[in-house]
Amino acid sequence: MSHLGERVSALVDGELNHHERDRALSHLAFCASCRAEVEAMRALKSRLRSLDGPAMPADLTMSLLRMADPGDPLPPRERPFPSGSRTFGGAPIPGMHTVAPPDNRPRGRAASTRRARRVGYVAVGVASAAVAIGTLFVVGGPDPGPRVPPVDMFANQHRNTAPYGGSATPSFSPTP
Amino acid sequence: MIRLPACLAVVVAMVLGLVAGSPARAVQQSVQQGERDEDTGLRLLREAAAAARGRGYSGTQYVTTWGRSGSFSSMVEVRNVPGRGLSVSSRPSGTAGWVDPGTPAGSMAAPSETMLEVLARNYRVVDAGRTRTGGRAAHLVDVLRTDGTPAARYWLDESGGLALRRELFDGRGRTVHVGGFLDLTLDPVARGSVVPVPPPGGLDLGEVPELLDRGWRFPAELPGRLELFAAHTAPAGYLYLGYSDGLSVVSVFVDSGVLDGEKLRGWHAQRHDGHTIWMRNSAEQGTIWASGDHVYTVFADAPADTVDAAVAALPHEPAPNLWNRLGRGAHRLLSWVNPFG
Repeated sequence: MSHLGERVSALVDGELNHHERDRALSHLAFCASCRAEVEAMRALKSRLRSLDGPAMPADLTMSLLRMADPGDPLPPRERPFPSGSRTFGGAPIPGMHTVAPPDNRPRGRAASTRRARRVGYVAVGVASAAVAIGTLFVVGGPDPGPRVPPVDMFANQHRNTAPYGGSATPSFSPTP
Repeated sequence: MIRLPACLAVVVAMVLGLVAGSPARAVQQSVQQGERDEDTGLRLLREAAAAARGRGYSGTQYVTTWGRSGSFSSMVEVRNVPGRGLSVSSRPSGTAGWVDPGTPAGSMAAPSETMLEVLARNYRVVDAGRTRTGGRAAHLVDVLRTDGTPAARYWLDESGGLALRRELFDGRGRTVHVGGFLDLTLDPVARGSVVPVPPPGGLDLGEVPELLDRGWRFPAELPGRLELFAAHTAPAGYLYLGYSDGLSVVSVFVDSGVLDGEKLRGWHAQRHDGHTIWMRNSAEQGTIWASGDHVYTVFADAPADTVDAAVAALPHEPAPNLWNRLGRGAHRLLSWVNPFG
């Protein structure tokens, strides 16, 4: 078996399968150089894990705080499709993170309910119009019946009216 | 020697030219023109109206009216009693009654002052000189239209002031009405008697706002310078409208209902522009027609062409249908809910 080479890191990280791991350990029993290399790799990684994370400089923190200083806090971010509860034309609008596609399957029971509701609306409208027309018809009263004007009385009033005579009530008496 | 007369002729011609074109002559022409434009006969008509109401008299009158379909004549015995009125007795029919001398039944002998003002506004009233009629001296007064054609002529008694004769003409100059005395007897004027002052008269339009609120619509004027002088409803429910130009009278009666033409006895139907109009051969030129759900009746003492124009200007709507009834119902509902109605 050749030296471990790049498999040293995988062995240290525990990423080798069972068979490769047995072969690697068998090789380390007879190869001092590979054993030394594994030991060095383990020591390096152990040291790296013991180090602290990078600290943020204090002046950078103050600069970021000053950028937002006199303004109000930033508004909440608006989503283009805020919630899955909104609908359009009865179909739900898919949200931004919606996984499932909208339900476009043909509706059976829902369609019949909507049709019944529409018929109900039309029936109510027709009934309302009939009531309104009937009300106007009744309130309008019957058409005046045929009649003959009292022509003799009219002629008498004409003959006995003084034009521009004022508002005095004319006296209607038999005239020739 | 030859040049001197020539100079004199030039000077004389210049002087004559100055005189002919002088301001004094222009003023004189203006005065004559003004006299022609003034209502010089209005004072005579005013005196005649006062005499017809305040002077006692009796006599026999004849009246002839040319209507649409011929002439109608009658003779009447009249007797005026100041303060009471004019007694009129028709010879053919024998009917009698007391009437106001300012009405068509009183031959319009005593028009009110307001009516004379309307006459002067619509016509030119000129004194046309003196003449004689029925053996009596009279003043002749012409009533002229703006185009100069005569609309009426009066013969006014010089001694009593009464109108002895009255003629009316239509727009084409044809005589449409003649009324005058065959004989006249004036009562003696008693000493100390007070002549009644003729009433000034006026309009009878106080009910118009209420009529408009109740939905009545009617024109304020009709063709022929006929102006609305009276508009009111009668207890029987019909609307009366009176129109006059100061000379003629047109009465319009508007009644609710649908006209039953088959029951109109003595009236004949004529078609005018798709509408049926019933007419009666009489001096008053009676006319009846239906418009919507109303019946219009017109009687007039006016030339036939004036009556026809007035009838044509009044409403001629088709018979009511279902939509009219629905519209009437809507109007009533709105009037009930209108807080300002």
